[in-house]
Amino acid sequence: MRKIYLLVLALALFFSSCEKDDICDANTATTPRLVIQFYDFANPSVLKNVTNLKVVGAGMTDGIIFNPTAADESKYLANGSKISIPLKTNDVTTSYTFTLNSGNSNPALVNVDDIKFDYTKNDIFVSRACGFKTIFTLNPTNPYTHTIAADKWIKYISVEKSNIENENETHIKIFF
Amino acid sequence: MKHTLKYFFSFCLVLSISLAKAQETSPKGELTNQPTPKTDGVIPENTEPFKKVDLIAKKKDSIAPTPVKTDRYGVRVGVDLYKLTRALYDKDYKGVEFVADYRLTKKYFLAAELGNENKTTDDTRLNSTTKGSYLKAGFDYNAYQNWLNMENIISVGLRYGFSTFSQQLNSYKIYNANPYFGEVPSIPSGQKFNGLTASWIEVVAGVKAKVFDNVFVGFSVQLKRLVSNKQPDNFENLYIPGFNRTYNGDFGVGFNYTVTYFVPIYKKKITPKKVEKKK
Repeated sequence: MRKIYLLVLALALFFSSCEKDDICDANTATTPRLVIQFYDFANPSVLKNVTNLKVVGAGMTDGIIFNPTAADESKYLANGSKISIPLKTNDVTTSYTFTLNSGNSNPALVNVDDIKFDYTKNDIFVSRACGFKTIFTLNPTNPYTHTIAADKWIKYISVEKSNIENENETHIKIFF
Repeated sequence: MKHTLKYFFSFCLVLSISLAKAQETSPKGELTNQPTPKTDGVIPENTEPFKKVDLIAKKKDSIAPTPVKTDRYGVRVGVDLYKLTRALYDKDYKGVEFVADYRLTKKYFLAAELGNENKTTDDTRLNSTTKGSYLKAGFDYNAYQNWLNMENIISVGLRYGFSTFSQQLNSYKIYNANPYFGEVPSIPSGQKFNGLTASWIEVVAGVKAKVFDNVFVGFSVQLKRLVSNKQPDNFENLYIPGFNRTYNGDFGVGFNYTVTYFVPIYKKKITPKKVEKKK
């Protein structure tokens, strides 16, 4: 008899200490971003770093934050050879302006290119805590529209992966 | 829901302690060790030759027979009040559960629960409605040693549960770790997933007390583990009727508070165990 009381007691204690499990783990693969790598146009197999690249979504005032730790304007500036940008989950097109040498005192060096991405999207169930995620498939015939400004810095855009399902691979290569 | 569950567990805890204390006053076995009154109703074999007896005269000097302790056997049917009353304060829940058990032997009961639930689960990122019915069947073992004509039960048991249900995804949110374009509000869906099934095994610990005549009041806690679970495409069974909320992994918990009525069918005499005499 004593054993049963102990069992009930143990069960009661066990369940009173239950933890909330409805917080989405940061390591869970959720909605992926578009991963872009930059290459040298003259030497297409070599990665090339961009200088002070600022990427702003159409209709947005602030750019995408590439350096969360940096202060002021420089947190929007990318200087590597690889960037990840989000696509709209409630739309089938996302437009960005890519500004090279952003904030440079010499206006002749500041170069703005517009790229519009067209895609279809699919909502995939992840878990109770995370809800759904969106994966994208770039339009097979017209994955992007590169608006040619007076002086374009992007020479060529190549789609490496049209299925954007995770961030472990490069989806777009930009040559300049 | 979470708080209600917490409250009930705390309540169980308090109850279990008070029971333990009540039991403390009479050390187990004391009663059984007492000399058993002679309950042998069988007439000893006659070794002497037959002789005529004056029946009326014989009746006069015979001693009144000792009352025989009997166990009542029958079916107990009832309803889970917890599920029934929950609809009063939880607008997202409608449910009913009928419970029944049949006394098989002195200690073992065949037990079954039949229920129907309609529950809307509102999580931060998902809102879904589950509707369906379930059947649980198994046995209970009464571990309580009753005194005299008491019929209380402290039981542990096993059940196999089976549920058939449908789920409807009402609305959902997209998880976006990089909400550059702002958080997208939840998207209405209305997608329905029919023909879902699940089965599970559960361990039940329960108490039933006779409050008056043939009416019993009891509660039980259940620990469940899924055996099979037919999941919908691109969604998950977040709630299974009878199994309750699903967690990561296959475990679940349950609680019920029952009021049952005992329908006696037959009685069985308790044959006292033979106590070996010390030499």
